[in-house]
Amino acid sequence: MSRLQAEHLYKVFGRRPEDAVRRLEAGASRDELRAEGTTAAVIDASIEVDEGQIFVVMGLSGSGKSTLLRMLNGLLEPTAGSVRIDGQDLTSLSDKELRAVRSRKISMVFQHFALFPHRSVLENAAYGLEVQGVPRAERERRATEALELTGLKGWEKSWPDELSGGMQQRVGLARALATDADLLLMDESFSALDPLIRRDMQDQLLELQKTLKKTIVFITHDLNEAMRLGDRIAVMRDGRIVQTGSAEDILVRPANDYVASFIQDVDRSRVLTAGAVMAEVGTVLGGSTPEGGTLGTAAEFRAAAPATVDVDTPLVELFTPCSASSVPVAVTDDKGAVIGAVPAERLLAVLGEPAEQGAEQEPAAPGVPAQPAVKTLAKTAETTAESTKTTVETTKTAAETGDDEPGDGDAEGKVIAGA
Amino acid sequence: MPRIQIGSWANDAVNWLRDHLDWLFTLITKVLNGLYDAIHTVLAGPEPLLLAGIFAVLAWWLRGLPAAVLTFLGFALIDSVEQWGPTVESLSLVLVACLITVVVAVPLGIWAARSRLVGGALRPVLDLMQTMPAMVYLIPGILFFGLGVVPGIVATIVFSMPPAVRMTELGIRQVDEELVEAAEAFGTHPRRTLFRVQLPLALPTIMAGINQVIMLALSMVVIAGMVGGGGLGASVYNAISSVNVALGAEAGLAVVILAMYLDRMTGALNQRVSPLGRRALAKAQASLGSLKFLQWRPATSVAVVGVVVLALIAGGMGMFGKNAAQGGGNGRPISLGYVNWDEGKATTYLWKEILEERGYKPKVQALEAGPLFAGQARGDIDVQTNAWLPTTHASYWKKYKDQLEDLGAWYDKTSLEIAVPSYVKGVKTLDDLKGKAGEFGGKITGIEPGAGEMKILKDKVLKDYGLSGEYKVQESSTSSMLTELDRSVHQKKPIAVTLWSPHWAYDKYPLTKLKDPKGSFGSGDSLHLLGRKGFAKDEPEVAKWMKNFHLAEKQLTSLENDVKNAGEGHEQDGVRSWLKKNPGLVEKIAPSAHATYAKGKDAGKAPNIGYPAWDEGIATTYLWKNILEKRGYRPNIRNLDIGPMWTGLSTGQIDVETDGWLPVAQKQYWDKYQKDLVDVGPWYDKTSLEIAVPSYVKGVKTLDDLREHKDEFKGKIIGIEPGTGEMKRLKDTVAPAYGLQDFEVTSAGTSAMLAELDRAYHKHEPIAVVLWSPHWAYSKYHLTKLADPKGTWGANNQIKTLGNKSFPKKFPEFAGWLKNWKMSPEELGSLEKDIQDAGKGNENKGVEKWIDDHPGIVDKMAPVK
Repeated sequence: MSRLQAEHLYKVFGRRPEDAVRRLEAGASRDELRAEGTTAAVIDASIEVDEGQIFVVMGLSGSGKSTLLRMLNGLLEPTAGSVRIDGQDLTSLSDKELRAVRSRKISMVFQHFALFPHRSVLENAAYGLEVQGVPRAERERRATEALELTGLKGWEKSWPDELSGGMQQRVGLARALATDADLLLMDESFSALDPLIRRDMQDQLLELQKTLKKTIVFITHDLNEAMRLGDRIAVMRDGRIVQTGSAEDILVRPANDYVASFIQDVDRSRVLTAGAVMAEVGTVLGGSTPEGGTLGTAAEFRAAAPATVDVDTPLVELFTPCSASSVPVAVTDDKGAVIGAVPAERLLAVLGEPAEQGAEQEPAAPGVPAQPAVKTLAKTAETTAESTKTTVETTKTAAETGDDEPGDGDAEGKVIAGA
Repeated sequence: MPRIQIGSWANDAVNWLRDHLDWLFTLITKVLNGLYDAIHTVLAGPEPLLLAGIFAVLAWWLRGLPAAVLTFLGFALIDSVEQWGPTVESLSLVLVACLITVVVAVPLGIWAARSRLVGGALRPVLDLMQTMPAMVYLIPGILFFGLGVVPGIVATIVFSMPPAVRMTELGIRQVDEELVEAAEAFGTHPRRTLFRVQLPLALPTIMAGINQVIMLALSMVVIAGMVGGGGLGASVYNAISSVNVALGAEAGLAVVILAMYLDRMTGALNQRVSPLGRRALAKAQASLGSLKFLQWRPATSVAVVGVVVLALIAGGMGMFGKNAAQGGGNGRPISLGYVNWDEGKATTYLWKEILEERGYKPKVQALEAGPLFAGQARGDIDVQTNAWLPTTHASYWKKYKDQLEDLGAWYDKTSLEIAVPSYVKGVKTLDDLKGKAGEFGGKITGIEPGAGEMKILKDKVLKDYGLSGEYKVQESSTSSMLTELDRSVHQKKPIAVTLWSPHWAYDKYPLTKLKDPKGSFGSGDSLHLLGRKGFAKDEPEVAKWMKNFHLAEKQLTSLENDVKNAGEGHEQDGVRSWLKKNPGLVEKIAPSAHATYAKGKDAGKAPNIGYPAWDEGIATTYLWKNILEKRGYRPNIRNLDIGPMWTGLSTGQIDVETDGWLPVAQKQYWDKYQKDLVDVGPWYDKTSLEIAVPSYVKGVKTLDDLREHKDEFKGKIIGIEPGTGEMKRLKDTVAPAYGLQDFEVTSAGTSAMLAELDRAYHKHEPIAVVLWSPHWAYSKYHLTKLADPKGTWGANNQIKTLGNKSFPKKFPEFAGWLKNWKMSPEELGSLEKDIQDAGKGNENKGVEKWIDDHPGIVDKMAPVK
């Protein structure tokens, strides 16, 4: 069952917002409204977040993602539409009830940490509990636990400005976790951090999520981060959600050119899996090995294949085997049965096409062959994080052109490349 | 362009407010006055140095040791230049104003920060408050709040509020929005967000605003002084209006010290009250190497304890009961001891009465000489009144003089003698006794056989004058001697008695002291007041009175007589009846503002008298204050600028003033306010308006000469306030008549004119100033009044007493006195001189001296039946 549902959310800033909503519903464009001085920040956005899911909202700055997030906990009141948490409509609540929901059910982690400079680390972490009215001794105990969870044991007495950015955000995270609210809103929470720290934080979040199973809405402009963290991803553009789906859905079947151009700089070799790109076994049978042997049966193929991988293996691990032999890599299912093959040509074709597309600046058909996606790789990060060997030069350049924060594009590319 | 009548609308608005919101203004006045009095009472209570100590502890707490030391030195300096009282008044005023400003401004600032609408609406109002010249709203302020501290406080609040509002608004606005959002995201109530997040983070900015408030408030203090706000403002204002550079410098310095102290302390307060400030402080201290102790500051608790302890000491040292009636006594006990002789008893009870009148609690003890000296040497007795020195009590004095201090002789003609009734003719000297033994029955009535006098008489006097054979000294006792004397006087019989002076018998009976040309009785003692060691330091005022104390023989004997007649146990009644016969004596012995004059019909009433800081105004006002106090009134006098004074007079805040120059000089005020005023009558006729030049400018005697010497004066006449009658007269009548129109008449005000005159005079430059007589400038500088042959200055002004129209009804007796009051130029001149000689702050002393020099003047000016 979905914990959080938002239906047809609109947020319009400016004069007579309701009129604007009506006009938007009637098909007016965002630019038309802007000419009149009203800004439609979010237009007809609907999302659904399931329990224990990390739902990533991704978009460039100005796409309305932060506004959307703030409507989810009522910091901004939607101009139209509804937000339901566990079936309760936020828009119908009084201020007081709304505060109670915020205090107990939702917590938030901010882009620039938003730590109170006049409070110690411990007092910051205990803030949510203080608002709830938890007695001092208990809230300090729980805050200490939360800090321990985020790896800040021993820093309780320090002050926020004595901590590095990453540590400060750990305090922010601890503050959000301490309240035991199981809905976590994270607004570009890692964007202000150095790339290396950012990666650490992502890892830590995923690690925590394994045990805590919070329901998380995560806002980011960083596609790689979205792919790494998101169980489901919503891509926003100009206030609208243009596509919602799993990482692979987005990557393999971008809903439109925008998404397609957006995803071109993603390191596909880490997101796509063998299962997603494999050809049927039949296409291999009948061929021959470089040594002259035949590939008559699946068993022969399996024996001759340079490697046998399962469907969840990311493509990045297929490069070495593919380059070692002209025989495709074999893909097996859970039971060890060969269900597909990944030939080197195919591997290169899948990784190469979107890049060409981007270079041509030409709208083109979605660049993935009509292969059935066997299964998406939800937790890409878990696996990729462990394999940190190969380097693919192409992704590096792609990262440079696609990142909307030009300043750290270079560094980012390297990190992705080095991961 | 049509004339828009903003001015008259404002005037109407002020009138309407005055008529309809009087209750509100009364309420505000009460509240502000109450606050001011409360704070002032607390601050003025302790000894100056003790309070300086409290301030120093605060400075230590806030800024460390060097600041504390400087604080103490600074305030000690203020005390030393005798600006302590005004400083405390100013401090109280500033504190009240700041308190109210902060209480109003911070919420306003918060409101403005939360609502753009309010912020936008407030801005022009704040601009207006900050830039509108204070004098503009001070005058209406007087109309609403009356004279005194309240309009000063209100003006200060108006002036100093804007930065507090602005800084609060800014402080709250600049709190990181993400922090506010974070608080909201955790479900914080907006009020809690304000108090727990926004205010603490805005605190440094708000404190900077409060710091500005205090500094601005201090800068308003001077202006407040002009409307009777007292304090350093009054000192400064007094100084500038009489070109008193010395006082100005001292008062100005006190303002600076106070300002710096308040500035540094509020600046540092931020480090104590705001969490961020505390952290910054801790960091700064941690990074400090040696010299740490200079930066060490006592913890808050330690500082509080320090302040409380000092405050308790302050309380113990007479913060309470400071207002005890008559003088500086404050109910302090003083023990008086005397050897039980008639003159001792009389003077002791006289002092008892005087000290009680002055607010002390004297205790009287009669003792033998031995215990008296010994007890006093131990410190049990503060003063003994009748030490006979150098002879009679020589042995005691020799023994104890290290533990005693001589307060001086108050009677120096004691003598031993033989006395005969005056009706016994032909007996003037001891020699005359010779051969008259028959007349006196051959005996001299003596006293106790052991008395020193009897011994001298028998051993020496009789021998020296060859009376040994003729007369027999009859031993008896003092009382039988006196009885015998009384009996003989009644029967008009001759009698010779051993007596001594002073003695009441001389007052009661007509007696002749027989001269002792051979000096056989020896030279007499003086009667001394002796204090225990340290007495003069502990009770300087009393010691001073005692040192100046002197009684003539007549006074003493009559006093003794009255005391004796009142009977044992009623000595003090005797003293009182004696004092009644010697009016003004208490005042003379123990000078204070309150003398024992006959009370007026309206005694106890408290007229408010205003005066401008002009010499004749100061002189006559202090004169009347003195006289009214003698008559039992409780007058309040207020030094005011001329404009505020007339305004106050018209509203009844001021009942009366003595310095109205009419019909010319202050015509404009009279025209404006006369419907609310009453002309009590002129007291001085010999005034004149004129242009004056220094006498060293030769050849300029008349206004015509002035025109001739235009270049010499650079074509300039130094004028006074624009809009005054004299300036108008000069422009409209005098200048055209003498062709002076092309002179440039500056109008910088009286103080500026006098300063310019002083400057030019010292450089011997020619200068022409607009002046009037009487004026102290004529006694300070050699000036020539330029003759006005055409009489263009018009009829001379009279100086009049002007009252609010309710004045004659409220103070019929006083009004009557004023109506008949006149002063001659000589009287006024000598009064002004006495006051000037006495010096600033001692005006009353000058007045006292003048009154002493004009016996009967009190009854003449203020007759009572």
